[in-house]
Amino acid sequence: MIADLWHQFLSGSFWQPLSFVLLSAGVLLPALAVVFSRNIVHSALWLLPCLVSVAGFFVLLGAELLAGIQLLVYCGGIVVLILFAVMLTYGVGDPDVRAYNQQLWWGLLGVAVFGVLAGFMVTAQGWPSQPGPLPPDVTGRLADALLGPYVFAFEVASVILLVAMVGALVIARWEPSE
Amino acid sequence: MTTVPLQAYLIVSAALFAIGLLGVLIRRNAIAVLLGIELMLNAANINFVAFWRYAGTANMEGQVFTVIVMTLAAAEAAVALAIILNVYRRFKTVNVDQINLMKG
Amino acid sequence: MPAGSELFLIPGLPLLAFLLIAAFGLRPQSERAAPAPIIAALCGSLLLSLRALGHVAAAGPQQVTLDWLHVGPIQIDVGVLLDNLSGLMLVVVSLVSLLVQIYSIGYMKGEIGYGRYFAYMSLFSGSMLALVISDNIVQTYVFWELVGICSYLLIGFWYRRPSAAAAAKKAFVVTRFGDLGFLTAVLVLSFLGYGIFDFTALAHAAQAGALSKGLITAVSILLFCGAIGKSAQFPLLIWLPDAMEGPTPVSALIHAATMVAAGVYLVARTYFLFALAPAALLLVAIIGSITLFLAATMGVAEDDIKRVMAYSTISQLGYMMLALGVGGYTAGVFHLTTHAFFKALLFLAAGSVIHSVNTNNMWQMGGLGKRMPITSLTCLVGALALSGIFPLSGFWSKDAVLAAIWSSRLPGHQVMFVFALIGVSLTAFYMFRLWFVTFTGRPRTEAAEHAHEAPLVMTVPLLLLAFIAVIAGALRLHVPFTHGGIAEVIYYRREPETTSALVIAGSFLCAVAGIGVAWAAYRAEHISSAAFNARFPGVFQLLKNAWYLNRAWELFATRVVIAGSALAAWFDRHVVDGMVNAVAWLCGAGSRELRRLQTGQVQLYAFVIVLGIVAALIAILAGVAPGIILRGGR
Repeated sequence: MIADLWHQFLSGSFWQPLSFVLLSAGVLLPALAVVFSRNIVHSALWLLPCLVSVAGFFVLLGAELLAGIQLLVYCGGIVVLILFAVMLTYGVGDPDVRAYNQQLWWGLLGVAVFGVLAGFMVTAQGWPSQPGPLPPDVTGRLADALLGPYVFAFEVASVILLVAMVGALVIARWEPSE
Repeated sequence: MTTVPLQAYLIVSAALFAIGLLGVLIRRNAIAVLLGIELMLNAANINFVAFWRYAGTANMEGQVFTVIVMTLAAAEAAVALAIILNVYRRFKTVNVDQINLMKG
Repeated sequence: MPAGSELFLIPGLPLLAFLLIAAFGLRPQSERAAPAPIIAALCGSLLLSLRALGHVAAAGPQQVTLDWLHVGPIQIDVGVLLDNLSGLMLVVVSLVSLLVQIYSIGYMKGEIGYGRYFAYMSLFSGSMLALVISDNIVQTYVFWELVGICSYLLIGFWYRRPSAAAAAKKAFVVTRFGDLGFLTAVLVLSFLGYGIFDFTALAHAAQAGALSKGLITAVSILLFCGAIGKSAQFPLLIWLPDAMEGPTPVSALIHAATMVAAGVYLVARTYFLFALAPAALLLVAIIGSITLFLAATMGVAEDDIKRVMAYSTISQLGYMMLALGVGGYTAGVFHLTTHAFFKALLFLAAGSVIHSVNTNNMWQMGGLGKRMPITSLTCLVGALALSGIFPLSGFWSKDAVLAAIWSSRLPGHQVMFVFALIGVSLTAFYMFRLWFVTFTGRPRTEAAEHAHEAPLVMTVPLLLLAFIAVIAGALRLHVPFTHGGIAEVIYYRREPETTSALVIAGSFLCAVAGIGVAWAAYRAEHISSAAFNARFPGVFQLLKNAWYLNRAWELFATRVVIAGSALAAWFDRHVVDGMVNAVAWLCGAGSRELRRLQTGQVQLYAFVIVLGIVAALIAILAGVAPGIILRGGR
């Protein structure tokens, strides 16, 4: 019931575009801040609102479970991990304070061209512009898919997580001789 | 009834991808490069979910893909950060342009 | 075997003799037998040539051609062409060669390199006969060069003598200048003349109008350049006097009777081209008249008897060229024939004297008439023939030449006639100056005192040649083995016999005047040459130094040629090598720039990947690359 109301609210003619605009700003502006902050800690921290806004997009699109996973994994896990790494490698004695490398202007140009072309690309196609109907049981169907046709990918992903964990431990091990 | 068209989502995701790409190409700090990569992965995720919603919600592939991508992003972040720590110990710096053993 | 294949034997026998002598006749044990193969070969060639001459007179021309070389559109064949001209030339060349070789057995006796001499002479005889009988211009060129090589080898026979080696080089290099013209003519014919090399085909094409006038004139002039070199015409006459460094029989055969006549033969052989190019004929006549006059003046100042005869040869070749130039085809060939005999005779007589007295200088001789009667008599016959005294052969041929000049329609022929007459006087003068100083009076040295006559093997050829020199005038009335006189046998277009009593009288008087002055100066000593030189010192210097032609060529070689080669060297170093160096520099510069991509900076590599993606996007959007199919609206 509440879910239906929520969805009705969301698909309202006024709220949906507004949410979209706000969430877009919430994604893109912190993203710019991530890239253009001189302080690495600030960069890492600005990632947080960006990722939260992405979770908001997922909700707007009707994939609530994914929004939850996004918050747990990305915001809760990865950002924290990054902050740890920043602390461990914070170069206090680093005399070189340049944030950008030699490719600043060329990179801007290249990416701008890329962005424009990509924009053309996606809008030139004749894809449907109306959202399809939302099925009642999205999460259940996701679970069915993950444990049904895509179970192999699911299991392999678990193995990859294990391997990554072990690998990261090995690589980052503190050697007594260092 | 004004609904947000699919292309709007695609443009946002493309813009996010471009910003992430910029971060990869421009920043000296290796962790900043990793942040750019994370932004790109998120842009891809937005793309997947948008297509799931607009091109037929009967197929769950869009969401399945997103779950897998998030999993891999986590794994990759862990390994990448481990590598960065190791490199920091060896070169005493995390600036990508200073980590270069090539001569000339 | 096609009919007429035996013609290949005429040059083939002497060439075979060459191979035999070269293989077996060079060792000291076998050297004494070295002359045998060539004498036998030349006898065979002579008999075959006489038979051929008779055959062509009875049955007309004969040609045998064998396919040889096909290079794309160019076809070069090997063949023999027997017509009136080549038939006569074959007889002349083989007869004179035979007599000279017999003479050489005596002259070269005891010399080191006896075998080598006969080997080279065989090669020469074979090449000369082949040159004369060739049916296409490329083959003629091949044998032209071969006789040039033989000339080089024989002039430098005594190669340890520096002057001989230098003379051989000079002969080869100077004739090379002319040969360049010949070769260019062949190339022009090859590329612009439809590759027609065969003489009969060329004649048909020229007369049918298939070749443009400009082309014919150019080819004629270029061929004549080759003749200028080989026949020692002005300005390339400087090599022939020096060529006297070779043994005297060589001078007799090659540089008097045959090889130097090859130039005249070439002009006669290709006369169908010259006849259509009046400009070329005028050039031939002008060069001929200049040559005959200059050489005659130079012969007056020489003391070396062989060099006098060398200048005489040049001068007579000038007469032949002049005759051809004014349209006297028959006269020119007639003079070539008679000249071959009496000039060979004169050289062999000189050789006999040199062999006996061991010097070439006429002022170290004197009074040899009593001691060497046969030589003296035959030399007198030769001198009379050369001077054109009735009724010897030279009279008839020289008269034919003068008549041709007198009656020609060439502009300026009157001037040429005057030159020719003066030349007659000078010829008689220097020839009898030589004869009087050498054979009459008192011996001037010990050697001359004890001179003795030559052995039989040398005097018999002298007598035979003297006999021919006397009677060869009869060719005018009847050529042996043929019907009719020389004007019926050797002609380009049948022309009426033109001769006038005026011309005959004029030439005879000039000749007699020349002999008279020589007698007065050198026998009776009424006129003193010393006094003359004292009054006109410049004249003597000019003549003695051959009108400073050698000096002029030397300046040309050092100034012009060296400057030209410096230019070419600069071009080679900076342009040709420069291009190669530029390619290398380009490679280096290119790789230097490309290397800058390899920085080791991963972000640069990532940027390049982005560039690649951008390129792919552009390609897809532009529809060039297969990619997402753009569908409009759904």
